[in-house]
Amino acid sequence: MKITDLFNEGKYVLTSEVGPAKGCVRDLGDGKIPDCCIEADQVRDHVDAVNVTDNQSAVMRLGSLAASIKLKERGIEPIYQITCRDRNRIALQSELLNACSLGIDNVLVLTGDHTVLGDHAAAKPVFDMDSVQLLKVGTQMKNGFDMMGHELTQFPKFDLGAVVNPNFEPLDLQMIKMEKKIKAGAQFFQTQTVYDAGLFEKFIRKAEGWGVPIQFGIVLIKSAKMADFMNKNIAGITVPDSWVEKLRNVPQSAAKEKCVDMISELLREIAPMCQGVHFMPLGWSDVVPKIIDKSLSNLRNSA
Amino acid sequence: MIGTARKSDADILDALGKYHKITIAGCNGCAKACKTGGDAQVAAMADQLRNNGKDVVLEVTPERTCYINHTMTAFEGKDQQLKDSEAILVLGCGGAVQVVRQATEQMGLTIPVKIALDSVGHMDTIVAGAYALEQCQECGDCVLNETGGICPFTKCAKSLLNGPCGGAENGKCEVDRDRDCAWVLIYERLKALGELDSLSEYKEPKNFARANKPRSLSLT
Repeated sequence: MKITDLFNEGKYVLTSEVGPAKGCVRDLGDGKIPDCCIEADQVRDHVDAVNVTDNQSAVMRLGSLAASIKLKERGIEPIYQITCRDRNRIALQSELLNACSLGIDNVLVLTGDHTVLGDHAAAKPVFDMDSVQLLKVGTQMKNGFDMMGHELTQFPKFDLGAVVNPNFEPLDLQMIKMEKKIKAGAQFFQTQTVYDAGLFEKFIRKAEGWGVPIQFGIVLIKSAKMADFMNKNIAGITVPDSWVEKLRNVPQSAAKEKCVDMISELLREIAPMCQGVHFMPLGWSDVVPKIIDKSLSNLRNSA
Repeated sequence: MIGTARKSDADILDALGKYHKITIAGCNGCAKACKTGGDAQVAAMADQLRNNGKDVVLEVTPERTCYINHTMTAFEGKDQQLKDSEAILVLGCGGAVQVVRQATEQMGLTIPVKIALDSVGHMDTIVAGAYALEQCQECGDCVLNETGGICPFTKCAKSLLNGPCGGAENGKCEVDRDRDCAWVLIYERLKALGELDSLSEYKEPKNFARANKPRSLSLT
């Protein structure tokens, strides 16, 4: 299932995200289901597709493609994320052929977090191509040719998505890059998480004229401690002080409920501005359906 | 210049290991500018090696050790000291070490050549005598004409050519919050020059065939 078909039908598109495990997920006949599949199961009846991250935060794990295929085998539509950090142009193109061959219909292209931020800080960062270039090459492959112009025997047909960070300052610089991604073939966007409706509106007013569907991205905040950590360590994301304060004295037992309330309140304001929402629950996939029920059912039903 | 930083005392002594009689060869070019291999550092290294029981038989500091003729000139008339040396310790870049090895081979000598420094990049001196910064990686495929004279390949941690990643915050890089995001610098520079349009142009992936190692130059 291609995600652009849903946008074209006017559907309000919801997606969530899982991260593969640090280890194999081979079926050992013990009935054990991989964690990423368990998480995907928690959202499968509520979202249209599930992103699978590619060695997120530069932490080495099971590959995004293997985990994506595991989801596909369970009947859950994966959005296969691919970053430019770990592969040169030969490997990236080959991986796109692999993805299509194994049944991937949706690919999300990212630059990737730098290696020094992960658990293999001494690794060589590749970045042979950037995300704009990979989108362009992916589009050319869909047209039947590799980046050198060599014909492909059978060519991929997946949708290509991209990311954008509305928090970026100066925003116009980020918009220039977003427009380049569109020209390079990006068919849909998922944004970096934003916690300020005014900021998101400023961004969406600049982007809406381009006619490419945008999903508002949201990382679920679990605690004041996590918010503090994100503000301190995750570049390009700001959790407003007002959010941190609201979370400050929430007992752990009430944390999920508070998360549902706060994210729902934000979504009621932001979600109507765009064509979908992308959840990044970081392990709290069980919370996603509650947020959807509370804040997005109108948009889902009206489409 | 080629930036150099001194290896630890332990690493240097470990590299010299069993060798007792040592020649020290500095470099009055880049390593002098980095305060790692000029005359002063060669003299200090000689004192330090003597204090560690070594016998320093020769100290030389060629004008630029990576230039074969300068190194040959520095070794002129020193054949006996070099023959007496069990090892040569070079306070220069990796190129200097290899040119010193070449020089000894041209003199018919087989002497181990060890390095006391780590080469840490092509550096520009931004604050005289105080601070140097890598701004060019000699990629062989220069884009500075389109980027306001600021190299994204070197100054962007991810070497991105089509604009910034989403990781910068307050104009600083996600990899090092003390470092400016190269793309914000490029944006501001092109804006000031009235050339922002060039940012919208698609930049092809780099031609790394031009950087395949080892590269060479014909100087004739």
